[in-house]
Amino acid sequence: MKKLILFSTLLLLLLSSCIELIDDLTIHNDGSGTFKYILNLSASKIKVNSILALDSIDGKKVPSLNEITEKLNSFALNLKTQPGITNVSMLIKEEDLIVKFSCDFASINELHNALKASILFMNNGKEIKELNQNWLSWDGKILKRNIPLLSLTISEELKETELDLLKTGSYTSINHFDRPIDHAEKPETKLNPSKTASMLKVNTFDLQNNYSLIENAIYLTPIKNK
Amino acid sequence: MKNSILLVLILTNLTLFAQSEQLIPQNAVTVFSINNLNLLQKISMDELVKYDFMEEVHQELFDGSTSEKTLKDAGIDFNQRLNVFYGKSDNYELSGFTFGVKNSTSLFEVFDDFTEIYSKYNGVKQYGSFFNNLIIKDNTALLIRIEPSTESIDAQTDSIWYARGNEYPFGWGLEEFDEEIFDEELFDESDTTNYENEEFSNELEENPAPIFDYPEANEDPNEKNYFELRDSVQLELQQALLAELLDDLFMKNNNLLKNDPRFAEQLTHPCEGTFYLDNSRSFEQANGLWYFQTVMPSLYRDIKELYTGNIILGDLILKDKSIDFLVEARYGEKLGSVYQEMNDSKFDKNIAKYIQKGSSAYFTYNVNMRKAYEKAYEVVMPILSSEKNADLAMNVLTLELLNELVNKDALFDTYKGSMFGTFNGIKKIKTKKIDFYYDEETFEYGERETDAVEDMPIFTLGFSIERDDIPEIILKNLSRLTSKFEKHDNYWVFQNAILDAAPLYMINKNDLFIFTNDEDLAINHSDGYGAEQLPKKIRRQIKKSGFMNGYLDISGALNRFPSDLLDERRSEMINSLKGKSGKMYLKSTKTTNKSTNFIMNYEFRGEENSGEHLLDLINTLYIFSK
Repeated sequence: MKKLILFSTLLLLLLSSCIELIDDLTIHNDGSGTFKYILNLSASKIKVNSILALDSIDGKKVPSLNEITEKLNSFALNLKTQPGITNVSMLIKEEDLIVKFSCDFASINELHNALKASILFMNNGKEIKELNQNWLSWDGKILKRNIPLLSLTISEELKETELDLLKTGSYTSINHFDRPIDHAEKPETKLNPSKTASMLKVNTFDLQNNYSLIENAIYLTPIKNK
Repeated sequence: MKNSILLVLILTNLTLFAQSEQLIPQNAVTVFSINNLNLLQKISMDELVKYDFMEEVHQELFDGSTSEKTLKDAGIDFNQRLNVFYGKSDNYELSGFTFGVKNSTSLFEVFDDFTEIYSKYNGVKQYGSFFNNLIIKDNTALLIRIEPSTESIDAQTDSIWYARGNEYPFGWGLEEFDEEIFDEELFDESDTTNYENEEFSNELEENPAPIFDYPEANEDPNEKNYFELRDSVQLELQQALLAELLDDLFMKNNNLLKNDPRFAEQLTHPCEGTFYLDNSRSFEQANGLWYFQTVMPSLYRDIKELYTGNIILGDLILKDKSIDFLVEARYGEKLGSVYQEMNDSKFDKNIAKYIQKGSSAYFTYNVNMRKAYEKAYEVVMPILSSEKNADLAMNVLTLELLNELVNKDALFDTYKGSMFGTFNGIKKIKTKKIDFYYDEETFEYGERETDAVEDMPIFTLGFSIERDDIPEIILKNLSRLTSKFEKHDNYWVFQNAILDAAPLYMINKNDLFIFTNDEDLAINHSDGYGAEQLPKKIRRQIKKSGFMNGYLDISGALNRFPSDLLDERRSEMINSLKGKSGKMYLKSTKTTNKSTNFIMNYEFRGEENSGEHLLDLINTLYIFSK
């Protein structure tokens, strides 16, 4: 089942020539917020659809688009039942091969635990070691973050030819806050003019070789007492 | 008479000198026979077992102990043929190969897992290793594996199981069967599950039974459970089938060489390899025909008769830098008369206009469907009409009415039967993609559709047509249904038809209806390539040959072909030829009511070993004939 989940959610990523991934995290001063995740494969429709048309590839069953959709929806349904999670939305645009996921959370810890629980549920309770990774932490002043859970597991499954295909892809990590950012650990991080949002964009191939490229710490200015 | 004497002499000659082909069982339906084994001496065992055709004799024969050994080290007699064979009946499948033995000590250094077992046949030594059997007679060897069909094993096992008073061996009824339980984790040996999820682990404690209620061993440990019994039955059936086959070979002296003069004659050809496929026996053993066999036996007999004599014979001839493969497809007179009428068609010269000079690969297929239909109707209808069966009588009535009422002129003028196809390599195709753009003020993002380019193999498929008005009717009405169909001056286009991303162009001109994803052909060459079409010399060659012609520039086509767009079997076939550089030509001769000949010429370049080329070709044929 683990393989199926990985295949369902990441097959498109593994074998696509041009991939765009966006994760967008909004954190309010009270620790609540919104998490959005977008997978855009519209630039590789021929490649991805040709793979989805196969029964199997390298001896592994290729799930149909319907099966992938079903799994993603089932994941979203389960996430809705997790404490501290509201407004879960999973939008799958099959014709453009775009998946948009978003949810509101009461706290970063609850988001973390909810995602972990839902992925475990999808994997029939079987442990996935990557879930133990702490990819997100927030103490009210500093946001420390990496790539979301599971994204790391793909690298072991990729073949050299497929790695080449990632060269044209991008991973964008965006963070929104209620108050201005003081500074970001990664100098490549872009801040918007009001300094309430940060953006870090990396190449998926480089990211595969070096996960720390997206690892970042965002330091916020103190909350002003009114 | 002269021919008969010659054949007798040939057979006598073959019999006098014991050769490996005399050990090919008569049940073999497909045989590859390699004559000039010297070519293969340099090929290592490890390389050899990588070929698909070696799968049938199982790779476990060549375990680690054979690494770095070549065929030369294996004690094989290179003056004898190496024959790879495969056969199938309702009850079993057999596969193996026969070869000459020069040095049995060296042979058993390679086949080191085999142990000698008792042989009741004079002068025959028998060895076994799991399910594989090695039989040596004089200086020839037969390596064979025989597998009873699952159905026959199950039938025998069930019969014994229930006769012993046992109950249904599986704990759960099929009505409770849940496909989910077949998920791979159930059989995942590397599963190191730690059920941390409390709810899930509680559930497990409450229901400790496995998902399947496997048949349990009886209280008496000497009594076998269902699967143990099944294993025993499988082994017994294997031994019985093998005994039957060996009795046939060594007591009745039957073998394919002796029993099929066509095969024997083929082996006399001065060539490096021989191919034999008895289609009439493949027909008999086709699983899908059991309904006819049981419900309409006389119809089955009649159809079988149609297939009598249906056989494919081939010669592989190795030259310095080329390989010729000469194939003769033989068939019975009735079926032959249909083929003869079908292939009695002139080459449609319009086709050549649409094949570009320098095309990586193309084929032309030139048949007359109208004549084929008339002949098939004449041959098949009496067979169907003579069958006394209510369902079939209704089908015959329908066919006869359709024959009378359908406008055959319109039908066969729309689909005449002749066609062509080309592959013009990989080109960039315009597609659409969604771009996410960012507001520099807020880093909020929006979506917009933009142009994209993707690589795609370029194919063209065209059909000869006389009624170009009929496709126009269809396309016109389809364009009313969806805006994806668009009419342009010289062509139609169906947007996003290919993989939901690329357009499909349709050209309905010059008595041809063409499908292509080549934008250049549709927009700039809708009347053909003009001076850029196939050269006159090639056009003349195509015109002179039979119903089929083909050309493939391997380096230009296969090496660039994205095999992940194909299913596994076709992908295997393409991959087995990849990495080669050469050209392949295929043509057929005129079809008679007895046979059609095909000539395939494969010219290769470079310093590669010609033996490897031969094996690659055999492998491709093997995958094709599977």
